[in-house]
Amino acid sequence: MMHCTMDDLGALRAGEASVWARQHITTCAACQSELEALYQRVAQLRALPALGPARDRWPAVRAVVRAERARRRRRWSAWGGSLAAAAALAGLLLVQPSGGKGGALHAELSQAKQQSATLEDSLQRYDLDGRVLSGHAAARLADLEDRISVIDGNLARSDSRAPNAELVKLWQERVGLMRELVNARATRARYVGL
Amino acid sequence: MTVALAVPDVLITRAQAGDEAALEALFRAFETPVYNLARRMLRRPEDAEDVLQETFLEVVRSIKQYRGEGHLWGWIRRIAATKTLMRIRRDQVRATEPLDEEPGKPGMHVGSNIDLERAFERLSETSRAVVWLHDVEGYTHEEIAEQMGKSVSFSKSQLARAHARMRRMLDEGAHA
Repeated sequence: MMHCTMDDLGALRAGEASVWARQHITTCAACQSELEALYQRVAQLRALPALGPARDRWPAVRAVVRAERARRRRRWSAWGGSLAAAAALAGLLLVQPSGGKGGALHAELSQAKQQSATLEDSLQRYDLDGRVLSGHAAARLADLEDRISVIDGNLARSDSRAPNAELVKLWQERVGLMRELVNARATRARYVGL
Repeated sequence: MTVALAVPDVLITRAQAGDEAALEALFRAFETPVYNLARRMLRRPEDAEDVLQETFLEVVRSIKQYRGEGHLWGWIRRIAATKTLMRIRRDQVRATEPLDEEPGKPGMHVGSNIDLERAFERLSETSRAVVWLHDVEGYTHEEIAEQMGKSVSFSKSQLARAHARMRRMLDEGAHA
C-alpha cells in the first residue's frame, strides 16, 4: 500500500495536498500517525528555549557606531570649512563694490562667512564622543545638523560670485543654526563635565 | 520562539534621533531573540554572535528608515534573517553537507538519548534555516525562497527532507 511521503505530509499541513493525499489520510492510520508526529515536532521546535549570546556584543556595536559618527562629524566639519574657504576665496576675487546696495550686501555676506568660520572652530571644542543626555537633546542636535546640511547643499548650488540677498540670507541662516548648535553642544558638554 | 516584546514609541523616537542609551535599550531588548534566530540556523555560536553584531549595526544605521509599519521585531528579524542567510551562502561548503547520509557513516548514529533539539542541530545550516524560518518564525516558502535566492520548490523540498531526516534520527535514537 502506498503511503504519504514527507512532501505529502507537509502539503497536508499547509492545506495544499493532492486529492489522493487528502483522501488517503482519512483512511490510513500509519499516515495519520506520521502527520501527528510532524505537528508534534513543529510544536517542540517552537517550544525550544531561547539561546542567549555568551559574550556581550554591545560594546563592539557601540565602538563602531561612535567611530562612524566621529568620521561623519569630521567630514561634515571639513565640508563646512571647505565651503567657507571657497566662499571667502570667491569673495576675494570679486570686484569690491564701492558702495550702495551692492556694497551693503557684500559687507553682510563677508560678516556672515566670518561668523560661520568662527563658529565652526568653536564647534570643534565640543566634539564629544557621541554621548547624549536625553532623546530630546539628541533629536535637537540631529535636527540642527540636518538643517545646516540642507543650507550647505543650497549654498553649494548657488553662485557665490554674485552676492545677492538670497545668498546673504542663506549664510545668515547658517550662522543662526551654527550658533544654536554650538550652544546645544556647549550645554551638553557642561552637563557631562567636559 | 514567539517574541511579543512591546517597545515604547518614545524609545524608538529617541533611537532614531541617535540617542545611544535608547539604542542600547533596543539592543538589550532584542539581543536574545536575534541571537537565538541566528544560533538556531548556524552551527557555530561565534557566527551567531557575529550576526547579532552585524544586525544591530544595521539597525543603528537604518533605524531612521523604520516608519512603524508592523512590529519592530518583524523589522529587526528580517535584518537578522538576511544577515544569517548571507553568512550561510558565503560559507556554502559548510552549509550544504549531504542531507541523506549513508547508513553506518560516522555521525549517523547519534545515540539513544537524542532529542529533537540534537536532531535539528545535525541538519545542514541550509536545512536548519528553512525549518526554523518556516516552522518556527512562520515565513512562507515564497519568503524563504526570496531571501535565500532559491526557488519555492527548493524551500519545500529542503523542509520535507529535513523533517524526514529528523524523524529518522529520532526513530533510530529511540530504538538504539
